[in-house]
Amino acid sequence: MRFTLNKRSRGVAVTATAIAAVAALVGCSAPSADNSATDGEVAGKITIWTWDAPGDGLKAAIPAFQELHPDVEIDVQDVGNPAIWEKITTGMAAGGSGLPDVLNIGIDYMGNYVEKFPGELVDLRDFGADELADEFPSGAWKSGSGADGAVYGIPYEVNATGFFYRTDIFEQAGVDIDSIETWDQLLEAGVTIKEKTGVNLYNQDKAASAADSAGLWQLLTALQGSFYFDEQGEITMNSEAGVHSLELIKKANDLGIVGDEQGSWDTLLASLRGETDVAIMPSGGWMAGVMENEAPDMAGNWGVRLPPAVEPGGITAAVNGGTYLSIPTESKNQRTAWEFVNFALGTLEGQEVVYDGGGMFPGYKPMLESEGFAEPSEYFNGQSPNAIFIAELAQDTPVVNYTSDYARALKALTDAQTRVLLSGADPEEALNEAAEQVAQQTNRKLASD
Amino acid sequence: MNALLETVDARPATDRRRPPSRRRRSSIGHPRLTPYLFLLPTILLFLAFKLYPYLSAFWVSLTQNVGGVTAFVGLDNYIRLAQDPLFYTALGNTFLILVVQVPLMLALGIVLSVAFNSMLLKWRAFWRTSYFVPIVMGLVAYGILFRALFDSGDGIVNEMLGAVDIGPIPWLVDPFWAKISIVLAMTWHYTGQNAIIYLAQLQSIPGELYEAAQVDGANGWQRFWNITMPGLRPALLLTVILSTIGTLQLFDEPYVLTNGGPDNATLTIGMYLYQNGFRYFDFGYASAIGYALTLIIAVISLIQFRLFKEKTR
Repeated sequence: MRFTLNKRSRGVAVTATAIAAVAALVGCSAPSADNSATDGEVAGKITIWTWDAPGDGLKAAIPAFQELHPDVEIDVQDVGNPAIWEKITTGMAAGGSGLPDVLNIGIDYMGNYVEKFPGELVDLRDFGADELADEFPSGAWKSGSGADGAVYGIPYEVNATGFFYRTDIFEQAGVDIDSIETWDQLLEAGVTIKEKTGVNLYNQDKAASAADSAGLWQLLTALQGSFYFDEQGEITMNSEAGVHSLELIKKANDLGIVGDEQGSWDTLLASLRGETDVAIMPSGGWMAGVMENEAPDMAGNWGVRLPPAVEPGGITAAVNGGTYLSIPTESKNQRTAWEFVNFALGTLEGQEVVYDGGGMFPGYKPMLESEGFAEPSEYFNGQSPNAIFIAELAQDTPVVNYTSDYARALKALTDAQTRVLLSGADPEEALNEAAEQVAQQTNRKLASD
Repeated sequence: MNALLETVDARPATDRRRPPSRRRRSSIGHPRLTPYLFLLPTILLFLAFKLYPYLSAFWVSLTQNVGGVTAFVGLDNYIRLAQDPLFYTALGNTFLILVVQVPLMLALGIVLSVAFNSMLLKWRAFWRTSYFVPIVMGLVAYGILFRALFDSGDGIVNEMLGAVDIGPIPWLVDPFWAKISIVLAMTWHYTGQNAIIYLAQLQSIPGELYEAAQVDGANGWQRFWNITMPGLRPALLLTVILSTIGTLQLFDEPYVLTNGGPDNATLTIGMYLYQNGFRYFDFGYASAIGYALTLIIAVISLIQFRLFKEKTR
């Protein structure tokens, strides 16, 4: 052995190691002792997990933020959607190890993460986030908060339903979109469109073999003031509203005006670009930005309006998801992470660059009210998508209770819908079966019992 | 260090006759300990990365996460599993794929391996490699490839079938055809692996046997049935058991091709476990499914061992 220590240097080494160990221990325990995680300096590197479009928005905010805090380095990682959910789940199940400093979390996952992994997300009230509460729509704020008022996420996107239609196809078929007030009328128009132009009213992943395809059911059910669960968390997917929604979907399918397309991003883009034509596209408000970015050649061919009501005179607004920015408790740089989140979402300056960078529909009220936000868009023939979404958010939409069992209910519903569309099952029977299956899996009660 | 080297040199056979010396007994390099010393790294890795997860998963299978708190619930998850219609759907699907796919794949594997071994085949290395390549293909590439092939609208397979006036077949979107698609994809994925195992076994069959049989006037079929098949038996047992275990754990194909659908027609036990763990965050239930699957695999493997033993007698 060449590497030998004499007695004296060995003693020095041992002492040095001991000092280092003690220092490390002190260093570790310090933040919890005097809560310096919330004090710390705004410097160093933070990492953000998000996916393509919202990531573009956050990246756009980096230069403006660095002007305020030059010592900060921000790494925005496009983890991909839906891959990000599994990655977050794995990290949380591992006690937070491997998670970044900022997480972009979907509204439908929020309840699950908070409920199943308590203590993994920072209560942002520590940083004074509760002051922002009044600046966001209360429903969106509530879904990102715990029952005790703890704030786990700041709303990044707040989506009203975007009801888009192809102006050229409606014109060609001689159907006036503005005369359509209910979904029944829309389906009639769909038949005319199919006859005159050969174009399907909309596309659906009937077998749900690529993704869930429950978006339309959720929209129709929300337009009747209902959802999978009521506010008490009891199962309502087989309610009258839910059954009526599935009956409408079945009717459209039986009329032969629904195209069968896999529910992937690529097939969606093909529809946006007019490669596989559809007459309407009910989606989230965020679709307006995607259309402008991904299908620029279609400018002037897409229109936007409020969705038709299910019942004559019914509501014409629904919330279509949303996302939050949250900070995991394992983050070593919570102060910097918070400052960035606060800048990007809680200031007009930040919101503007984020919105311009990615086109996500914000929830920050000063932004919605700001000058130029609801400006007419050339892409949409002088219509203003934003004005329509703001009008939707102002309507009295039902509070959507996703609960921690949303994923199960979504799966059960998708399967029921597949049975109805592919094997001609009865909508009411299929939904009753689905509701009972969810009850059996979750110990939740059926509201109808 | 010296003691260790000495004991490695020492021959245990002669050691046993001599009374053990005091020096050896006191050293860590006692002959009996030597193999364990070499095994130690593996044993430690096994304990940390195999045994601990096994035991931990068993513990998790006895718990449920209620409002963020992990609560011990005894056998509740197993009782729930026994009453879960979706679990039986998954079980049924998995077994159906098992009884259709494994015999098909193994028969193909034998045919391929005999061809690979044949003196008549040119560019043998090329053929062997090209049939083995699917084994190493990544999950994502695999998914994209088969989605493109089996798309019910403009998929390549349907385009080709259309050229001869067949179809279009709703490959991934019809409950029946989705199962067929999974079987086809799996066969493509794993047949080469079995063929390579058979090939190795074939090359251990002495050539003299074939020459002798030829002299005795046995035709090609008789030679295959009476020499090749008995010679392959050890490899057959291995592949039957490996393929059965692999199919029971089936996850990749339904995950990338059908998402377990349509309407759970291709839901396998592996998919159901994944859904419960990673979609519904129900880790207790997912672990219980895992242990139920382990039990099923153990029983079936035991039966297969027994059956093959009978035959070899």
